[in-house]
Amino acid sequence: MTQDNTLYDVMVIGSGFAGMAAALFAAKRGLKVVQAGSTGGIDFSTGFIDLMGVHPISEGKRWMNPWKAIDAVVADHPKHPYGLMTSDEISASIDGFTDFLAEQGLEYVGNDDRNTCTLTSAGTVKRTYRLPKSAWKGAEAFESKAPTLIVDFNGLKGFSGNQLVENRKERWPELRTVRVDFPNGKGELYPEHMAWALADPANRVKLAETVMEHAGDAEYIGFPAVLGLIDPQKIVDHLEELTGKHIFEIPTMPPSIAGPRLRAVFDRGLPALGVQTLSQKMITGATMDGGVIHFTVGKGKAANTVSAKSCILATGRFFGKGLKAQRDKIIEPVFGVPVCQPEARDEWHGEAFFDKGGHPVNLAGVEVDSHLRPLGVDGSPMHDNLYAAGAVLAHHDWMRMKCGAGLAIATAYKAVVELAK
Amino acid sequence: MDFFDFGLILASVIFIAGAARRIVRWFAAGKSTAPDRNSLNPIKAVWALIFDGLLLARTGRTDKLRWISHTLVFFGFMGLLLFHALDDYVTAAFFPAFESTLDPWQWLRNLFGLMTLSGLAYMGHRRFHTRTVRDTSRFQDWAAILLVAGIILSGFFLEASKIISPAVFTRMTNEFFVPDEAGDMTALKAYWADEYGVVFPETLPMDEDTLEKGAELNQDSCADCHSNTKSAFVSRPLATAMMPLANSLNVSRADKVFWYLHIVFCFIGLATLPFGKFFHPLSAPVNLAARQGRRDGAPAGPFAQMVGLDACTRCGECSVRCSVAPSYAVLGNKDILPSEKLVSLGKYRSEGSLSGHDLEDFAQGSRICTECLQCTDICPVGINLQDLWLTSKPEVAAESPDPNQAVRAMDAVTRSSGLGEEPCLPPVYGLADNKESFHGCVQCTTCTSVCPVVAVSEDPSTDLDLTPQQIMNLLRMGLKDETLGARMVWSCTTCYKCQEHCPQNIKVADILYELRNTAAARIGRDRFKGEC
Amino acid sequence: MKVLQTRVLILGGGATGTGLARDLALRGVKCILAERRDINAGASGGNHGLLHSGARYVASDMEAAIECREEGEILKRLAPQCIEDTGGLFVAVEGDNEQYIADFQAMCDRSKVPARKLGLDEARAMEPVLSDKLIAAYEVEDAAVDPFMLSLDNLAHAMDHGAEYVRNARVVGFDVENGDIKCTRLRNERTGEEFLVEAEIVVNATGAWAGQVAELAGAKINILYSAGSLIVTQDRLTKRVVNRLRKAADADILVPGGTVSVLGTTSVTVDDPDHCKPTVSEVDRIIEDAKAMMPVLETTRYIRAYAGVRPLVLSGDAGDARNVSRGFSLIDHAGDNVDNFVTITGGKLTTYRMMAERTADMVCKKLGVTAPCLTAVEPLPASTMGRWTEPGLGPKSWIQDRNADDLVLCECEMVSRTAVNTIVENMGEMRGESMLQAIGLRSRVGKGPCQGGFCGLRITGHLYDEGHQQGQQGMDELRQFVGRRWRGFSPVLWGLGMVQADLQEALYCGALDLELDDDDETCGDE
Repeated sequence: MTQDNTLYDVMVIGSGFAGMAAALFAAKRGLKVVQAGSTGGIDFSTGFIDLMGVHPISEGKRWMNPWKAIDAVVADHPKHPYGLMTSDEISASIDGFTDFLAEQGLEYVGNDDRNTCTLTSAGTVKRTYRLPKSAWKGAEAFESKAPTLIVDFNGLKGFSGNQLVENRKERWPELRTVRVDFPNGKGELYPEHMAWALADPANRVKLAETVMEHAGDAEYIGFPAVLGLIDPQKIVDHLEELTGKHIFEIPTMPPSIAGPRLRAVFDRGLPALGVQTLSQKMITGATMDGGVIHFTVGKGKAANTVSAKSCILATGRFFGKGLKAQRDKIIEPVFGVPVCQPEARDEWHGEAFFDKGGHPVNLAGVEVDSHLRPLGVDGSPMHDNLYAAGAVLAHHDWMRMKCGAGLAIATAYKAVVELAK
Repeated sequence: MDFFDFGLILASVIFIAGAARRIVRWFAAGKSTAPDRNSLNPIKAVWALIFDGLLLARTGRTDKLRWISHTLVFFGFMGLLLFHALDDYVTAAFFPAFESTLDPWQWLRNLFGLMTLSGLAYMGHRRFHTRTVRDTSRFQDWAAILLVAGIILSGFFLEASKIISPAVFTRMTNEFFVPDEAGDMTALKAYWADEYGVVFPETLPMDEDTLEKGAELNQDSCADCHSNTKSAFVSRPLATAMMPLANSLNVSRADKVFWYLHIVFCFIGLATLPFGKFFHPLSAPVNLAARQGRRDGAPAGPFAQMVGLDACTRCGECSVRCSVAPSYAVLGNKDILPSEKLVSLGKYRSEGSLSGHDLEDFAQGSRICTECLQCTDICPVGINLQDLWLTSKPEVAAESPDPNQAVRAMDAVTRSSGLGEEPCLPPVYGLADNKESFHGCVQCTTCTSVCPVVAVSEDPSTDLDLTPQQIMNLLRMGLKDETLGARMVWSCTTCYKCQEHCPQNIKVADILYELRNTAAARIGRDRFKGEC
Repeated sequence: MKVLQTRVLILGGGATGTGLARDLALRGVKCILAERRDINAGASGGNHGLLHSGARYVASDMEAAIECREEGEILKRLAPQCIEDTGGLFVAVEGDNEQYIADFQAMCDRSKVPARKLGLDEARAMEPVLSDKLIAAYEVEDAAVDPFMLSLDNLAHAMDHGAEYVRNARVVGFDVENGDIKCTRLRNERTGEEFLVEAEIVVNATGAWAGQVAELAGAKINILYSAGSLIVTQDRLTKRVVNRLRKAADADILVPGGTVSVLGTTSVTVDDPDHCKPTVSEVDRIIEDAKAMMPVLETTRYIRAYAGVRPLVLSGDAGDARNVSRGFSLIDHAGDNVDNFVTITGGKLTTYRMMAERTADMVCKKLGVTAPCLTAVEPLPASTMGRWTEPGLGPKSWIQDRNADDLVLCECEMVSRTAVNTIVENMGEMRGESMLQAIGLRSRVGKGPCQGGFCGLRITGHLYDEGHQQGQQGMDELRQFVGRRWRGFSPVLWGLGMVQADLQEALYCGALDLELDDDDETCGDE
C-alpha cells in the first residue's frame, strides 16, 4: 500500500454531476481538492440539466417554471434538498457550472425561468432547464413545428426515426424521417465511434451530401447525438454551412455521446484547476482521526491512502454505488451513514413500474442537517467536516421530479459553501 | 586494369545504378504531392539524424542489448571504413605520419573489427533465439550478417596470415632494409620470428646476442613504420593459433588468398548495398530526417511512404511488439506481422499487384491489423508503418476475395477441439469460466462503445465477429467455445479502456486476454497432437 | 358480428389446451384454440419446467408417480427438442426427517421409479454447490422441459393439421339452448370487439380459470387456487435437477433451464387466480429455506421471480393445498345439464399429454370419431415458432449466419434482428397486437439480466422501422411489456438487481419521461 502524503482540504467522492460540480466549485475557491470515483456517473447522462419539472409526482403535474416548481415541492416536502438553499444559490450554482462548461467549449443554453421542451430518442417530449447548444435548434423546431427531417443511421441501435415520427406526427405533421448509411460505416455502429469519425471534415461533407438528397423543404435536420466528441458545435456549424439547414442533436440511449462529452470536459478542466483526480478508483474505507479523514483508495496491493480535512460524499444512488441494497436493508457503504428508508423491502417498490406515486425507495438516502452534513444515528452530524451532495441525499425522487443534474449541482455548490466557512 | 580496379569499378557501377533506381522511385512517388518535403524543418531533421540515426536513441529506449550490438557494429564498421578502407583519403590526410602497420592504427583496426564481430554475434544470437524474429528472418537477413562477418573475419585472417608470412617479410626487407653486414638479415629474421610472429621455413639462431642485434636493426629500419604485431590483439593470437600449419600456409601464399577473399567480400558488400535491407544505412537516415523525430501515425505524403518502405532494417521489433502477433501464431500467415507485411507491400507497390495466394495472405494480414500504432511507435528507424497500412488496407480490400476466410479458418480450428475433455491441459478455471465474473453486468455496452478496435473496424460483426460486450454475454451463458474463434479476442490490443470504463468493474480486458491464451493453448494442442 | 365455425372449441392455450389441439388435429378433428392472452399465460408458464421422474410423488401419490414416470419416458422419446435430460438428485441435509430418507428407496422401488443411492462425496462431486451438511443423496431420472417450446411446438403441429389459434380472446359467455352450448361468445382483449364461435363441443382447458369459465355455462367446479412463486438465478448453478429429499414442502426444487436455474416453489392459497404475483416475502422465504441445500443461493444474483396458480379440484372439504391430489380432473358437464361441454383441469406439466389424450378420447366419443390417439407414438416435430425459446440458440445462429446487417437487438440473450423478424413472420395473422409481449414469449427477449430495459426499447424501435407499429401503440406496448417484466423483477431487487433497476428507471423515467402522460404537450405556464 502506498501513501499520498499531501493533506488535502477536501476529498470529493463521486464522479457524477454532484462529484464533478463539488470538485469544480471547491477548486474554484482555491481549495486543495482530491476526487475519486469510477465510471458510471456522468458517462450515463443525457447531457440535459434538469432543474425541477414535476410535482406532485402522483399527479404527474408538469411545471414550465422550475422556480415555482421548487417553491411548490419545498412547501409540500420541507425536507426536500432544495429546501436547504435559496434560489439565488441554486441559480448561481447552475451558472457557475455551465460557465465552466462553456469555457471548455461545451456551451449550454436555456431560459432563466422557464423549462424547454425537447424531443427524446423514444419520441417522447422532455422538459429540461439547460441543454447543450447542439440540441437547442431541436427545441426551436419543436416549438414552431417547422418542417423537420429526423435522420437516423443503418446500424445504430436504439434510435429509430420512425418511432420518433410516429409518436409525434399527429401534432407535428411536417416531421419526417429518413434512414441513411453513415459515411464509411457498415454493420453495427456506436455513437462514440461515429463521433470520432465526424471529427474528419471529409466525413461531414459526405454526410451532408447524403442527407441533402432527402432534405427537401425541411428547415431543420435532427441527428442522433453523434456529432463529435470534443467540439460538437463546430460540427453542427459546419453541417449547417454545408446543408443550409438548422441542425440539432437528439441524445441516444445511454451510454450516449453526451456523457463522454461531459467527462472529457472535466478530464481536461479539473486537473487544470489543480484537482488531483483518482479516476477509476473506489474509496474502500474511511477512518476519522480528529480533524482529518483517512481514506483507503482501491483494493489490495494497488490500494493507497489519502488524507483530507473534509469530505463531500457525492456517490450517487445504487447505480453509482453510493447506496447499497442488501436483502434486508439499504446501507451507505463508505462511512456507514444511516440511510433513511422504508421499513421493509416489500415497501421499497410500488406495484407497477410506472407507478403513479413513484417508488418509495427513491426517496431513501442520507439525511443531512442544514449545512448538508449527514446525520448519525443520534440525529447529530456524524462528523464536523463530512458533507453530502447529489442523489445520495434522501427526500427527493430525481427521476420523477426531474431534478437530477440541477439538484446535484446545487447541493454540491451549497456543500462547498458550507465547507469553506 | 588489375583485379582490384576492375572489381571496384564494377561494384561501384552496380551500387550507383541500384541506389539511383531507388532514390528516383522516392521522388517519382513524391512528385504529385509532397507536403512532407515542404514542411521539412532542417533543425529538427538534423536533430533526428544525430539522435535517432547516429545515436540510435529509439533503439536505446526500448532494448539496451540491441542498442549496444548495433552501436558496436555501426561504430566498428564505420571505423574500419574510414580509417582502414579509406585510409589513403581519410587517415593519411589527417595524420601525415600514418602507416597502416603503425599503432594506434593497427590496434584500432583490431578493436573495430572485434567490436563489429561481437555486435554481429549478438545479432545472430537474437535472430536465432527470439521466436518471432527467427520466424521472420529471411535470406537477406542472414546474408547481411554473414557478409559483414565475412569481411571482418577475412580481414583478421588476412592480417594473421601476413604476420606469419616470410614472403611478406621478404617483400618489406627488400624495400626498406639494407643489411650492413652478414648476419644482419638472420638477426632481424630471428628477432621478427621471436617478437613479430613470422614463421620462417629455416631454423634461426635464437640466442640472446642475435636477438639483441635483431632488436637494434629493427629499431633502426623497421619500427618507425611497423609496430609490434602484438598490438594486433586479435590477429596475432590468430596467427599464433595458425602456427602449426604455418609452413604450408606460407607456401600456398594464404595471405594472397585471404586478400582476394577480403576484397571480394567488400566488393559484394558495396554492390549489394542498394538492394533489400542492405540499403538501410542510407535510407534509414533519410527516413529519420524526413520524420523529424515524430513517432505518431499521422498521414505522410507519398515520398515519405516510399522512403519508409525502403528504410526497413528488418530488425523485427515491430513484429515482436505487434498486437495481433498471436493470430500469426495461430494462422501461420506471416503477412499478419508488420515486418513481413511491409515486404509484401513493397512487392505490391513495385509490381502493382500480387498473385493469388500472396494477395490473400496480404489481404488477411491487412484486415487483422488493429491499427494500434505499436509498430510505428517502436520502429527504430521511424518508419510510419501505421500510415502505410491505412493507405494499403482499402486498396487490398477492394482486391481481396473473401473477408471471412480468416474467421472460418479460425472457427475450424477452435470448433474442432469441441467442448470435450482437455487431455493435455489441466482444466483452467479462470475469470471466463467463473460466471460471477459477469454478475455485475448491466448491459450498458460501454465496453464496446469505448473499444478502439471496434472503432477502427469497418464493420464489427464481420471484421471482429463479436464485440466485447457480446463476448461477455456469451461467456455468461456458458458459450465459451463460441468466443474463442472471434477475431475480437485476437485483435484486442489490451488497452484496458473497456475495463477502466466499465461502471460495474467487470474485468473485460483481463477476460479477453485470458480467452486468447486459452485459444492459443488449445490450438497449439490441436496442431501438435501427441506432443504432450 | 364475426362468427367462426368448427367442430371443437378449446378454451385455454396452456400445455393441455395446445396438447389437446394437436391430439384432435392428428385425429382429423377440426378445432379452434382460443386463448385469453397468449401461450402458457397461466400455470403452464408459471412452473419449474421440470419433467418429473415421479420420485417426488412416491410417498404421497403412487399413481401420480407412475404416471410421471411413464409420461416422462414418452416425452423424452418423442419431443427431445423440448427436453434437456439433465438427470436429477434428491438430497437431504442435517435436520431433515430421517425416517423419510430411510424409506425413500423402498417407496421408489414400489412405484418402479429408478433411484440410486449416492455417496455424499460422489454427490458433491456431481454438483459442487451442494451443502457440506449433506446427509443423504439419491440419483433419479428428472429432466428439464421448456414449457414454452412444448406448447408452441404442439400448437404449430396442430395448426399444420388444420387447427386454428386465436389469442387475446376472452370468453364472455355461452349461449346454451336445450342443454347444449350453441355458440360461445368471445371478446378480443385488445380491441374490445366481440365474436362468436359455433362448435359441436367446447372444451374448457383454462386451468385455474376453469371454475369461472364453467360458471358462465351454468356448471360448477369447486377449485382451490394454490399460487406458487419461483425465482430465477442469473446463471445455471447445477447440471442436474436438485430436489430436497423430504416430504413435499416449499423451496424444494432447483431446476436448471438452459443458462439459468429456477428455484421454488411456494404454495399459498389465493382467492382469485388473477391476483397472483410473486412477493418479496415469498422470495425471501424460498431463499432462506433452500440455502440449507445450497449455500450459494444466499449470495447469487437473481434476475426475476414469477408465479403460477395450480388449480386443485376439490372433491370434498378444502384443506391444505398440498394434500389435495395433483392428479387431473376430467369432467363431463352432461351432469350439469350441458351435454357438449367438457372441462379438463389440474394435473401436472409432465402428464399434460395423457390429460389431452383422455380428454380427446371423451370428445371423440361424443363426436363419434373413432380415430385413435397418435400423440403417444408420433414424434412432436420441432417448429420454427418454438425454436427461439431455446437459450443459447440466438447467439449460436447469429454467429453462424454472420450477416453484416443483422444487428443484435437483445444483447443479454443475443437475439438478433433476423430472429425477431422470423418470430414476427411466424405470428402470421396474430401480428399487430401486443407484439413485444408476444416476441418476449416466443424468444429469450427480456429474460436476461436487463429484464427488458434495453432490448424493450431497441425492439420497439425496430418494430416501428418495420412498419409493425404505428402512432403511439408501440410505446404503449413497451410500457405494458416493461410493466409485465416488473411484476417478476421487483421482488428480487437488492444487490446487483437494484443497480440494474436503478439504471432502468433512470433510462425510462429520468431520461425518457415515459411515466408521464405524453398527450400533454402544453409548454405554457401553469
